[in-house]
Amino acid sequence: MTTNIQMKSETCRTPDKEERSLLRQVLDKIADHCRARSLFILHYCTGCGAIELPPTITSRFDAERLGIQPMVTPRQADILLITGYLSIKTLKRVILTYEQMASPKYVIGMGSCTINGGMYWQSYATVKRLLEYIPVDIYMAGCMPRPEAIQQGFLQLMDNIDKGHANTWKDYYHNYDEYLGNQQGLFGPDWHTPTDVIAEARHYQLFGEKTIGEHTALLAKFASEYVTKPIPKEIIA
Amino acid sequence: MSQQLPKILESIIQEIPNLIFKEQDRHRLRLELQKETLPALLELLKGRAGYLHLSAISCVDWPETDEFELVYHLWSYEIKTLISAHIHIPKKPGHYISVYDIYTPAAFFERDIHEMFGVYFEGAPDMEPFILTEWYGPPPMLKSFSSLDYVKDTFKWQEYSPDWLKDIEAKGGKVVE
Ligand code: SF4
Repeated sequence: MTTNIQMKSETCRTPDKEERSLLRQVLDKIADHCRARSLFILHYCTGCGAIELPPTITSRFDAERLGIQPMVTPRQADILLITGYLSIKTLKRVILTYEQMASPKYVIGMGSCTINGGMYWQSYATVKRLLEYIPVDIYMAGCMPRPEAIQQGFLQLMDNIDKGHANTWKDYYHNYDEYLGNQQGLFGPDWHTPTDVIAEARHYQLFGEKTIGEHTALLAKFASEYVTKPIPKEIIA
Repeated sequence: MSQQLPKILESIIQEIPNLIFKEQDRHRLRLELQKETLPALLELLKGRAGYLHLSAISCVDWPETDEFELVYHLWSYEIKTLISAHIHIPKKPGHYISVYDIYTPAAFFERDIHEMFGVYFEGAPDMEPFILTEWYGPPPMLKSFSSLDYVKDTFKWQEYSPDWLKDIEAKGGKVVE
């Protein structure tokens, strides 16, 4: 933890670690239980898979029975549904979107293209394994998965959330260096996003050994001051 | 064969030196010509025979002869015959003249060919990357660019060894690429 955060927490009572975790376990259980029954999918589609979503969402299969609805902005969405192949250009936008979503957030990889490139496995323009760049909660195999399979996937995800297993978003903070490294491998060493993921990791208390490393060091070189500069003390105090 | 051709096309074809033409059917004509004469042909077709529609320019990479083949697909709503005009240009330096001044849509086709094959069109309004704005490799449609090698160098693969495959491998079989 940095001095910045410590200064911040001095202003209110710092809860005892043990005490907090006990309280938290109960609260998390309740929150997870509720959260699993009200999920918003970000209305963002790539690849061919978008075509199976209208029947899934609308009256034929009616995903709203599960409490799942499309949502127009990343800030309000819980699920990022990657509906098919991602070109390298699209992946950039997906990462930008993913980082803007508020935690906890879940990623669903739909179709074989997100698993290993699918039928575009030897294309120079498409990404092969989505999970190298952002953490994925659930994969739905198929080319294209039918709405039944998509609903099955939704149910599985809800179950995971309910049981507290859907925690891959934490992995993004824990292993940010590795994810960033893979992203840099595709987009070049000067790749950076406007989101300060490292500060977020600290905020969520998910800052770990692998959050920063050789790849995040490059951020300081290329990213804008907004991302790399520590928050001025006047603002925190 | 040429008797069936509309008179106007026939006269145009005769005006262009060293032109080989092959009629594929009544609505399809293949012309092969010298690269210097292509703009003249396009001007004549557009001015005299109503060839207003340049529907595409395609490019073929011929590694054996070290040449690019450019194909201009043209359509006339009056004569109703599709003309594809083929020219060959040497790969080095891979320059050709833009036909933007005759057909404005050529700007897009030429820009696309420039990024996919690396052919430079002199006089084209814009030769900046069009779709591949974030691509730093060689022009990817060249035969010399191996997509497979690129993919193998750039990406890792998902491990996949289901039980049914293990069974087959135990008997000496394998997945063939
Ligand atoms: S998995 Fe199949 S349907 Fe889905 S994006 Fe890939 S090719 Fe298209």
